[in-house]
Formats: sequence, C-alpha cells, structure tokens
Amino acid sequence: MTESKTITLNMGPHHPATHGVLRLIVELDGETIVKATPHIGYLHRGIEKIAESKLFQQVIPLTDRLDYSAASANNIGYCIAAEKLLGLEVPKRAQYLRVIMAEFARIMGHHLWIGTHALDIGAMTVIFYAFRDREMIMDINEEIAGYRLTPTFFRIGGVAQDTTSEFIKKVRAFVKWFPKAMEGYHTLLTKNKIWTTRTMNIGKISAEEAVNYGLTGPSLRGSGVAYDVRKAFPYSSYEDFDFQIPVGENGDVYDRYLVRMEEFKQSINIISQAIENLPEGPVQTDSPWITNPRTVDVQNDISALIRRFMMHTKGPAAPKGEVYAAVEGAKGELGFYLVGDGTEHPYRLKIRSSCFYLASALPRLLVGHMVADAIAIIGSLDVVLGEIDR
Amino acid sequence: MSMVSLTIDGKMVSVPEGKTILEAAQQTGIDIPTLCFHKRLPPIGSCNMCIVEIKGRPGPVTSCNTPVEEGLDVATQSDALHAQRVINLKKILLHHALDCPVCDRAGECDLQNIVYKFGITDVAFEPRAQKRDDAYATSLIRYWPERCILCRRCVTACQSIKGIGAIDIIGEGDEARLVPVAADKCKSCGECLSVCPTGALTENLSRRKGRPWMGKRVKTTCGYCGCGCQLELSALENRVIGVHTETDDGVNQGSLCVKGRFGYEFIGDENRLKTPLIKENGQFREASWEEALDYTAKRLSAIKDQFGPDSIAGLTSARCTNEENFLFQKFMRAVIGTNSVDHCARL
Repeated sequence: MTESKTITLNMGPHHPATHGVLRLIVELDGETIVKATPHIGYLHRGIEKIAESKLFQQVIPLTDRLDYSAASANNIGYCIAAEKLLGLEVPKRAQYLRVIMAEFARIMGHHLWIGTHALDIGAMTVIFYAFRDREMIMDINEEIAGYRLTPTFFRIGGVAQDTTSEFIKKVRAFVKWFPKAMEGYHTLLTKNKIWTTRTMNIGKISAEEAVNYGLTGPSLRGSGVAYDVRKAFPYSSYEDFDFQIPVGENGDVYDRYLVRMEEFKQSINIISQAIENLPEGPVQTDSPWITNPRTVDVQNDISALIRRFMMHTKGPAAPKGEVYAAVEGAKGELGFYLVGDGTEHPYRLKIRSSCFYLASALPRLLVGHMVADAIAIIGSLDVVLGEIDR
Repeated sequence: MSMVSLTIDGKMVSVPEGKTILEAAQQTGIDIPTLCFHKRLPPIGSCNMCIVEIKGRPGPVTSCNTPVEEGLDVATQSDALHAQRVINLKKILLHHALDCPVCDRAGECDLQNIVYKFGITDVAFEPRAQKRDDAYATSLIRYWPERCILCRRCVTACQSIKGIGAIDIIGEGDEARLVPVAADKCKSCGECLSVCPTGALTENLSRRKGRPWMGKRVKTTCGYCGCGCQLELSALENRVIGVHTETDDGVNQGSLCVKGRFGYEFIGDENRLKTPLIKENGQFREASWEEALDYTAKRLSAIKDQFGPDSIAGLTSARCTNEENFLFQKFMRAVIGTNSVDHCARL
C-alpha cells in the first residue's frame, strides 16, 4: 500500500510571474494544487494613513501609486470622492478629458496585462507589440501631463491644464492606429492552439460564485455578469458615450482574455467619441478656494497671489461628512470612502481595492489545477499588488 | 453687574453690561469676521470687517466697538453685509504688495486667512501711485510700508499696552503712513510687531529663516533674565528662528522686552561657552564640570584658610533666576562666611 504525501511549494514574493510581490503557498499532490494560500502585504506603504496628514489635493499623487499600471483611472476615483465631499461641479470639458485619460489608463493597464500574461504562459512576442503601443500612450501622457506612467493629471475640480493641439493630434493618430495593432494581438493569440489549450477551461468560476467572492471588472464579466460601474452608476459623463460591456460565458481564463481584448476596442471607441466631441469651456471648476488662479493674475493681483499661497499651504477645509465614490478601474470597481471632519485633511480614506477581492478568490480558483495553470490564473485575474497592499 | 439681553442671529444672548456686540457674539459661538480686532487691544474699528446690522437703525455698525443694549436685534450675516465686507477687504488689499512669496509672515498672516476665507477673486480698484516712507523708530524693527494695511493695531498697542506712543499714522487716504512720531521714546519692545496682522512690521535681525509652519513651537520661559516671561520659541533644525507670544500666557501676558523679543540668536551662537575653562599658564583649556568644581572648591577653601573669609567676594548675574541668586548669597554667607556679595543688577 503506497502512501501519498503533499508537498508545500512557496511561490514569490519575488517570482516574476506573480505580478509584483504576491506570495503564494501552494500544497501539491504530485503536480496538482490541493490548497493555495495567498500572502499579501509586501508592498504596504500605508497610503491610507499617509493621506490623513495630507491636504486633499496632495492625496492625488498617492492614488497614482495604487494600480500604477493604470494611474489615471485611480486619480479619477479619488477626485470624484473629494469633489463630492467638497461639493464641487466639474466642467464638461474636464469630464471628457478625464474620460480620455482614464480610458487610456485602462488600455495601458490591459497592455501590461496582455504582455505579461502571454509571457507567463510562454508567448514572448506579445509583450513587444503591447509595449510598443503602450509607449505611444505614455507619449500622450507626457504631452498633456508631463509625466508618463503616473500622470497625476487630474485636480480636485477639474484637470491640471487644457489640451495642446499636439495632444489631440497624438490621440487621433493612436485611435486610428490601434485597431490595426489589435488585429496583431488577435493573430498572435486568439486562435493559437497552444494559447487556447492553456487557457480554456482553466480557472473557471460561475457567475454566482464570482459575485459572492466580490469579483468586479473584467474578471467578473468573464463569468457573464454585465456589471460595469461606468454603465451602472455613470460618472464623469460616461452616460454621453455609446459603448458596450463585453461579457464572457464560461468564466475561464480564455473568456477573461476575450473580455479584456474587447475592452481595448470599447475604450478606444470611447476615446474616439470624447476627442471628437470635446466640449469647449474651462477645464477647472470656478471656485475661489480650489481653482488655481492663472499665473498672469498671480503676478498682478494680490488676491490671486494670496489664494494660490493659501491653497497650497493650507488648502480648502472639507465639511463634516462622509462620501463614497466608485469608478471602474482597469481591474474592477475601485472605491474611495472619504471622511471629512471640518479640517484641511481627510479624517479617513478607505480604498476599496478591486484587486484585493480578486486575490482572495485565488484559493478557490487554483484548487484542482496544475502548478503551471496557477500562473495562467493569476495572470488572467490581473492583480496589481500596489493596489492590494496600498 | 447687571446683565443685558439681546438677540444675535435669532439667538437670545445675555451678557454683562458694557460688553460689545462682538464679545457677545463670540461668547455665543457666532463667528463675525474681524481683521483689526485683537483681544489684547481696545477696539480700533478701522477695518470695517465686523460690521453687523441692528434692526431699526440705519446702516451697519462695527460690532467691535458698539456696546450691547437691552433688546437689540442684531444680524451678523446678510447679502448686503457680505457685499460690504468684500468691498472693504478689496479696499484693504488695494495697496498691498505682491510679497507673499518673500514675506516672513506668509502662512500666519491674518490678511491671507481672511482673504482666503472670503474667496476674494479680484481687486476691482485701480491703486493710485503712492510713496510711503519706510522709516521706523529703531533699527531692530523693519517697516514694510507696501505691506501695511493701516489697521492701527501697532499704534494702539504702543499707546495702550506700553503707554509710550512712539509711532502713529500720519496723513489721510493714499498719503497715510506709519511714522515714528517720538522715535526717542521707542524701547524696541516689539509689541507693535507682535500684534501686526500682516508682515508690515518684522524683526530686522535676519530674514527668511523658515516658513512659520516649518518651525517646531516650544513653550518655554525666557532665558534672558530672572523675570520668567512666558514665550514660545520656534525651532527649525536645532536653531531658534523666532519668538512668539500669541498665547498671552504667564506674568508678561504676551508682552516682552527688547531682549526677550529679539535676543535669541545667542542661543545658537558658535562662540558660546559649552564647557568650563581653566586657565593654566595664561591659556584657557577645556575642562569637565567635575574637574572645574573640584578645582574651584579647593582654591576657595585654600584662600579662605590662608587669608580669611573676607578675602573672598561674590558677584552674580541678572541672567540667573531669583532662586539661583538667593542660593548664591546663601552660599557666600553661610559657606564662605562673608557679606561681600553683589549683583550686576542689569543685563
């Protein structure tokens, strides 16, 4: 009579395929996973606590560093929460610019996902094409915000500055170019026999279970639930745009792949509508307590100089109260719960990280699969540890 | 003391007779914006920010110097009052220089605070060209005429707290300016500087040592003499960068003398003695406290034994506290045994 024993395998936190610093402890029976335990916290920077000592606008750069692969998509969530708390209305043009930047951020996040996901499974070519196109978005970020990966382009009450003609030119060029690039991605993977064998019927999760695990974003939609914050609770003028929510059927790695591939298209569709219908007008709300005065005024008018000085040293005080604002980040529903206590600092900032819920579904998804499939499943959930650990 | 009842913003308030409407409002927790008002000074009434409406009377009145009366019905907020306050504030800003980035006071400036609170977006008036004299009574205090809002706080402080009246505002309208009318009387106490709402009066020692919020405020007792005045030192990177007395604590109630207000740079001076020195062969050398005290005790005993106690005299300093001076005379009389003890009695 032979006795079978399980062995424990440690993956990460420095494993390149765990997308950052995720550590997985898997128990193996042969090569089959019988138990998986994710360990998180290696990237904990205390962003929520740091925010309590910052002015409201100083928190924006911290949010870039949550899901750093899609920075603008995080900024928009925090800004909307802060605006809700401070009672500010954002001009239409700024809302459209925010949509453009947030959708670019989503595409950038998906670029990183498709590149590394394919690389993990063994298809090396994809990342080169994905990063070629990601570079173009980085250039667009640089053109409008000055920064490439973490633009911090949004401000409370609007965006940092208006567009340049070069920006519009670059956006149009990208919109025109990208469908062709997409064809390339599809040619490399969608009908690739190795790819389909590695991804189909792997890491399956039913719609009901996905909802129970709190999955959101493409990972939830891969299981067939058409929930998208942009449609369910439109913010920043998303109701103005005509776009679809792609959903999968089987809830496996392949369907999550297809959903994201379609999201590329939908995002570019939204950007195209936004850039062509960009309304005229200011890009900052008109509030003497939060709107940065124009430089020419600051150099000539003492009241503008005083306001700029006070805005950046003291900042506006938030009224007592609490707000929650959720947006559709690149990975799922990203929520910001913000409490004001009458001072210039947030009393509390709680971030509802979509990736945390994705990672907590890993023990359920990995069981019964091979070790090699674990890599495919982690890749298909697209977790970013910067957001989980905060 | 008889009490007076009045209504402020619909709230019934009961205050002792002789109080002003502003004090009654503050006591009730109603916020009336003020600029020239200072709690240590009698009401001035120059800025017109604290205006309120009294039912049945024509026009607004300044609440800081209007005493309460039985049955008054006061409104502190209305559209007309707000508009008037904004205009008053814009007039105050009219001549103010674009100095915030280089002003020592920026960050704890009453004018900045009130402008930001009101959200003033433009100064709608054109200033007339003017020239103001930047002379001040003494060289320790610098007057920045282009930052002055002519609120008269400094003048009132000099007259009512110090009873000196060394400075006054001369001229009218665009010509008005702060002038040292009796410069020889000025003691450089810095009372004017401590009540100045803007950076129009600053110390003239050295500028740009740090922004107000950068310094760590430490409440302490003035180390200059034995009086024991309370003050707050602002320290940045182990260096004292300023003296503050906003809390009005202690026997001095927020007032200081010239040494307490301006004499803080000796604290971080390089030439300060840090260890005792013993003179050997005409040269000083550094010594430990233990060695120095042993040496002093030995020499004092030897001199006393050889020449008698009256061969020793003691001289102490006004920099020491009263308690230390008491201990010193006790030491001279009881331990050494001499009455030859004296005190410099000046700083």
